[in-house]
Amino acid sequence: MKVAYWPGCVSRGFTPELHGSMAKVAPLLDIELVELDRANCCGAGVIAEHSQELADTLNARTFALAQQEIDKGASLMMNICSTCQGAQSECQERLDANAEYRAHVNETLQASDGLEYEQGIINKNFLWVLVEEIGLEQLRSLVKRPLTDLRVGPFYGCYIVRPSARLGIDAEHPRDAYLGQVIEALGGTVIDYAGSHKCCGFPIITMSKDASLRQAGTHLADATDAEADCLVTPCPLCHLNLDLQQPLAARAVGRQLAMPILHLPQLVGLALGLEPKELGLQHHVVKPTSVIDWTQSVVAGVGAQAA
Amino acid sequence: MPAHDVLIIGAGLAGQRAALAAAQKNATVAILSKVHPVRSHSVAAAGGINAAVNPADDWRSHAYDTVKGSDFLGDQDAIEIMCREAPGEVMHLEHIGVTFHRNEKGEIDLRAFGGASMKRTAYVADITGQALLHVLYEQLMKHHEVIDRFEEWFVTSLVIDEQGACVGAVAREIRSGRMEVFSAKNVILASGGAGQCFKPTTNALICTGDGIAQAYRAGAPLMDMEMIQYHPTTLAENGFLITEGARGEGAHLLNSNGERFMEKYAPNKMELASRDVVSRAEQTEILEGRGVGPDGTGIYLDITVVPKKRTLEALREIVNIGKDFAGVDITAEPIMIQPGMHYIMGGVKTDVDGATPIPGLYAAGEVACVSVHGGNRLGANSLLDTLIFGRRAGEHAAERSYHMPMPEAGRERLAADQELVAEILARPKSGRRVSEIKEELGTTMNRYVAVFREESGLQSAHEVVRRLKEEAKTAYVDDKGTVFNQDVLGAIELGYMLDVAEAIVVAALERKESRGAQFRTDFPERNDAEWLKHIDISRDGDETPHVSYSPVTITQWQPEERKY
Amino acid sequence: MAEFTLRIRRYDPSSGEAPYWEEHTIELEPHRSVLEGILQAKAKSDGSIGIRCSCRAAICGSCGVRINGQPGLACHTHLDAALAKAKGGVIEVEPMGNMPVIKDLIVDMDAVHWKKIQRVSPWLINKQPIPEREYIVSRESMIDVTQTAACIQCGACVSDCLSMEVDPLFVGPAALAKSYRFVGDPRDAKHEQRLRDLAEDPHGIYACTHCFKCIEACPKGVAPMSQIMRLRRIAGNDFHIEDRNNGERHEMAFVKNVHKNGLLHEADLLPDSYGGKFHPRAVPELVGSLPVITTALLRRKVTIGKALGHPHKAPAGVKRIYDIVEGRDQRVELNLYITGTDEDSAPAQPEPAAAGAEEATTS
Repeated sequence: MKVAYWPGCVSRGFTPELHGSMAKVAPLLDIELVELDRANCCGAGVIAEHSQELADTLNARTFALAQQEIDKGASLMMNICSTCQGAQSECQERLDANAEYRAHVNETLQASDGLEYEQGIINKNFLWVLVEEIGLEQLRSLVKRPLTDLRVGPFYGCYIVRPSARLGIDAEHPRDAYLGQVIEALGGTVIDYAGSHKCCGFPIITMSKDASLRQAGTHLADATDAEADCLVTPCPLCHLNLDLQQPLAARAVGRQLAMPILHLPQLVGLALGLEPKELGLQHHVVKPTSVIDWTQSVVAGVGAQAA
Repeated sequence: MPAHDVLIIGAGLAGQRAALAAAQKNATVAILSKVHPVRSHSVAAAGGINAAVNPADDWRSHAYDTVKGSDFLGDQDAIEIMCREAPGEVMHLEHIGVTFHRNEKGEIDLRAFGGASMKRTAYVADITGQALLHVLYEQLMKHHEVIDRFEEWFVTSLVIDEQGACVGAVAREIRSGRMEVFSAKNVILASGGAGQCFKPTTNALICTGDGIAQAYRAGAPLMDMEMIQYHPTTLAENGFLITEGARGEGAHLLNSNGERFMEKYAPNKMELASRDVVSRAEQTEILEGRGVGPDGTGIYLDITVVPKKRTLEALREIVNIGKDFAGVDITAEPIMIQPGMHYIMGGVKTDVDGATPIPGLYAAGEVACVSVHGGNRLGANSLLDTLIFGRRAGEHAAERSYHMPMPEAGRERLAADQELVAEILARPKSGRRVSEIKEELGTTMNRYVAVFREESGLQSAHEVVRRLKEEAKTAYVDDKGTVFNQDVLGAIELGYMLDVAEAIVVAALERKESRGAQFRTDFPERNDAEWLKHIDISRDGDETPHVSYSPVTITQWQPEERKY
Repeated sequence: MAEFTLRIRRYDPSSGEAPYWEEHTIELEPHRSVLEGILQAKAKSDGSIGIRCSCRAAICGSCGVRINGQPGLACHTHLDAALAKAKGGVIEVEPMGNMPVIKDLIVDMDAVHWKKIQRVSPWLINKQPIPEREYIVSRESMIDVTQTAACIQCGACVSDCLSMEVDPLFVGPAALAKSYRFVGDPRDAKHEQRLRDLAEDPHGIYACTHCFKCIEACPKGVAPMSQIMRLRRIAGNDFHIEDRNNGERHEMAFVKNVHKNGLLHEADLLPDSYGGKFHPRAVPELVGSLPVITTALLRRKVTIGKALGHPHKAPAGVKRIYDIVEGRDQRVELNLYITGTDEDSAPAQPEPAAAGAEEATTS
């Protein structure tokens, strides 16, 4: 399938391994990524804080660009970031609810880019695409290197699980359980721990640094106590606060931490047979030694060394 | 020992308003509540508050509507005061921050309500009670230095001194179990109604008639106890209230033939006739076989005729109630309702300043009977009643406190109540459970003392109540602890409920006539010649109810035939 | 009727024992509430189970608890819905979080919830002069603040606030929503002072971690986090309050960053949030982040070129959007609570016929 692909900002900035691993994994899943390279930042909820109209218009622009690709044959718009999913869904809710407002925003799009947003775009995170478009059965059949004995803790990122109504989470689409389903389909063991659906703290890293790091540190510690080998997350902003900031987070909670954080495409890529170096695992701040040894086989439970 | 000029028992609208009024008159004030003040049942009032604020309106019209609504049992001097002071009170509420809905000009918007000749109900969506209660509590927080709050304290008795004056109360701190006697120059009862005597009821679990029973036991007379309002639109299963505001916005009542049957009973006002008329109409349709639902005991309330946008804006809460508690989208389909017990017009007898015949004892709100509601209360008049008479009682009590010494309430009552608690805790498991007795009381009252009553049913109810009073003496509890012991409080509340229920039944038996909410199939006509009077019930130490009468005050409006 | 198993968290303070779980089996129709289940257990087997409750109809706010780990009202949660989310077929009920437990399911709301409410001066401070009749205010403004006035103070949002979990001094969702109730009220005279107070408080509006938990928890649609964001918006845009917590700076840095680059350039965002790369506030942060920056460079996560250079530039269309939207005199803000959706405003459906009845005869 072809998707109008919005890679987000951070995947091309401080987590390039996410962008790279997605590009490697897509063809194995039969996904053709048509990158929206003229699209803009979703605002991450921060631009909306300043001005809802600005955030709505910026995202309407991205949606309009995606719709151009959908008109040319792409099935839907896909993102690889929980925060993009949540911020964009919030803007879409407003745009879709009120025709008058939508027309007002489209006026700006027309004047700025000659674009127009049509109500009702389908915008799905890679996690949802895996389960809903590709399907767990299909995913299972593509596994070359089952993640046997690998204990993986899911970390969703707030923006993709709340508010549940807006994100389409219901009995038919238990999207707040998809990470577990994917981990199992890839052969791994799902680790249940307190922080899986909590906040990594990224939004307040400059405003309330200690509280931010203590959130990250607490969830990492909980995962460690639950004996997870690694966490997997569909959000690069969470990745930053959990991986890049892990040394400081450890200090904030007074614990030694060595919990590797994998991007979702990296976990999928490992199971589909890609090599760790192809997936950019060497770029992480916290070395994923409890996930892989550098003879390039996936091993679980190898004594984690401090980063 | 706490000692205050004014001690207020109950922190709903009447109690909180009294506290603010008394504090404003520089009295020292304590307000005591068995739940956190914002949990008081005033919070559930939905539709609105009546006032002739529209310049084209006249308080006399509001007063007449109220008198007629009361089926001429209301005391017209009190009604005049309430209606005349209403506009000022509504403006006061707006000034302290109530977020009344507005019309296009930015003025307070007014909606139609039952029994009203003109639109005069100010509202906040369909959460008016909550809006008012929370704003009053904000004021209590603001004035926390001059109003002492005792939140989650449960009153077990009033304290009456040897001269027969009320000088305080005994209360239990629920959190710790410790009991204390409060001294006060004046006590204002504002503890609400007694809906839990009936099952089902729209009323909360806390509405157990505490203040009515406490005043009754202290020797104060109760008045109009037979007048129990059945609200026309309550959810069948659990008794939840569907606000009259729905009918105010234009909703229809339909029987199993899809007919707007109110045309037969109240051709002018239709669904907005007074509540007793509507409830009787519904009950008649049900009894004559035109009810809806699996056992034909319901009536359809059709809100789909109201524009959806208006429903979502002005009836938001019942959209939620329909969805959450009945599985119905009221914007798309009718909802099944039936008459349900809702309000007690009767209560502790007071004058227009909230004073009972016992010196130092006041009452305001649903616990009181002034009477402004007589035989039937109009919708949106209760919120008004609580505020007007809460304020008046607070002011009057504060003024009374100026030139009198602070009494010291004796500790005998405290000792007696502590013994009662110990006795309850010690009861063996051979008696019945409190919850069983309560359930039997509720279903009995709802069977025999409801919309239609007659002699033999009322006598049966009386026998049951008397038996349950005996059984309650040995009802046992599970919780023997001191911290937050809700069990023992339930046993004490059961005693209150049984006293109140007995007074209700005795009064209903006494009034051999139909007026307002009391409809006797054996005496179906209104009989002004013999029964244009209040029925008073009091106790004289021997625990049996004594009946007497008091006159109805008529100022301007002579009784006439009551047609809607 | 169906059978349900409730696992209730018990705690008896006078026993000296730790809290423990206790199972009760109840029998009720599946659409009844968890509260009714608990009350049945109280009535039939153990009257000592402590739970605050009153109205049973989700309006008094007494019965806040955690059911299967999620905060909410016990009276508002259906047994079948709770069972669907239960682990091992057992519905778990425990007291709300972030507040000390008094007994069983009863928490000390005075110590946390009410203390924080009192902190925001939760009463109208009148704009003078007070008119003789009502203040004349717009319809929309009263509907707007009714959203926050609809709060029943149940504590569900406070219970699960993730900021409060790590920072107990955080003013919190209920209190901040209550503050909006006045900041959004045209009759209140102290908008700026309220905002300045809560913006400068290190545990105030900028300490919210933006996790949506309170929006999810609230049974009344108050959406506390949305109100917090509105407070931030008004503080920054209308009163230009530049708080000590870098909240407003961070917000503006983000906005300008995307205006310049089209995408977010993280390397600029951090120092700009503090005031700029060489600003005295930023220097200690940058110095403190050196180990992390160094590791990131060594691991080739980031290159110096990418960090200091600006590989992306905002397309003209993006800049034009900024010009138009930021250039407006008045902020345009769509509030779905006030307007509803287009679907809501659709013309009324034709009256459905009552089940098994003939067409309604209207008068």
